[in-house]
Amino acid sequence: MANARSLDKRRKSIRNIRKITRTMELIATARYRKAMDRAAAATAYTDRITQIVSRLAAAGAEVEHPLLEPREETRAATLLVLTSNRGLCGGYNSSVLRIANPRLQTLRESIPNVRLEVSGKRGIGSFKFRGINVDTSYTQFEDQPSYADVEQIANRYLEQFVTGQIDRLDVAYTRFISTSKQEAVVETLLPLGNLESAADEANGAGPGGSATVDYEFHPSAVSVLEEVVPTSFKIRLFKCFLDAAVSEQVARMVAMKSATENAGEIIKQLSMTYNRARQAQITGEIMEIIGGVEALAN
Amino acid sequence: MAIRCVVVTPERTEIDREASYVTLPMYDGELGVAAGRAPLIGRLGYGLLKLQTETGTQQLFIDGGFAQVENDVVSVLTSRAIPAEQIDAAAAERSLSEALAMPGNTPELRYIRDAAQLRARGQLRAARAPH
Repeated sequence: MANARSLDKRRKSIRNIRKITRTMELIATARYRKAMDRAAAATAYTDRITQIVSRLAAAGAEVEHPLLEPREETRAATLLVLTSNRGLCGGYNSSVLRIANPRLQTLRESIPNVRLEVSGKRGIGSFKFRGINVDTSYTQFEDQPSYADVEQIANRYLEQFVTGQIDRLDVAYTRFISTSKQEAVVETLLPLGNLESAADEANGAGPGGSATVDYEFHPSAVSVLEEVVPTSFKIRLFKCFLDAAVSEQVARMVAMKSATENAGEIIKQLSMTYNRARQAQITGEIMEIIGGVEALAN
Repeated sequence: MAIRCVVVTPERTEIDREASYVTLPMYDGELGVAAGRAPLIGRLGYGLLKLQTETGTQQLFIDGGFAQVENDVVSVLTSRAIPAEQIDAAAAERSLSEALAMPGNTPELRYIRDAAQLRARGQLRAARAPH
């Protein structure tokens, strides 16, 4: 049995670790709430966009736009992988990377020119370790990605897509379904596919209702639609970033919660071993004293 | 009779208040909305949204997007809404000179360049307008 003092030292250090993990759990919880609020605000925006799209559809506008049409031949593609800047969040990063890597390989096999863009230090590090070259990396996205930052990237993709520099954009990220369920997915954001189903998917059925109202379109339904399509791409990309941020905080919360619980259990076990060791030591000492006394009496 | 004006950006709901009269910066000029206006969906340009309220006029720079008018509710969807006082004229001038220097040798590039110029000009105009 190890000696009592070293056991006590270990117990103390584990107590400190438990303090840290508990604090991290609390921080992650607070950040998760904030991130959720932002996601809710974004949903308010997507809801209204969906509403406009449904009004346009009701007015008989043909939903046609270059961003919605798949290209005949895909010559260049971009894969954007969203990971976190910080670790200690359980399997969050590895699950995104586990799904992103095979996709990257299949893209590279079928498409001659594939760019890889990674957001988050964890992902960048992992690709570096595997010896895969990352074309562009972002580290500015923390737990509250700002729309201005995302819009910049989105505008660049739109520009590249419109000018034919890329024919396809895939995003690998963690989709937030509920607090207890998040899953890593790869989505094709460009070409956008169906506009309405895209919007529906993001927030359930949009608020329909008074679709019978006659709207005046200014300047015309087609012109409004031309603007709606790029906007809904931007908002979808933004949603990806928000989902990734929320999922990261949830993952960290869960990981730190179980770390705290584990630390508690280890402390319990160590305390038991420590008490036993202490008692054994005391018994040993008493035996020695008694032995000494008896030796003197003789 | 008052109209409700809601300004939504992807990050948050910027404004949700009553106004007696709203001026929307449409893509081709300003459009006034008073109570009882017919339903409208329109494309916004880059310019100032003006709200006439009981406490005075509130002005916001709107960065493109859409406006929807229905049942005396004006919804403005935009990527950014900046209070008029906070617009940086110097930054706007910088982005205008950048936009002027952008290449325009294909229709797509020209379209992108024109949008950037419109945006910078709108911002500059908003920054110089009296508020």
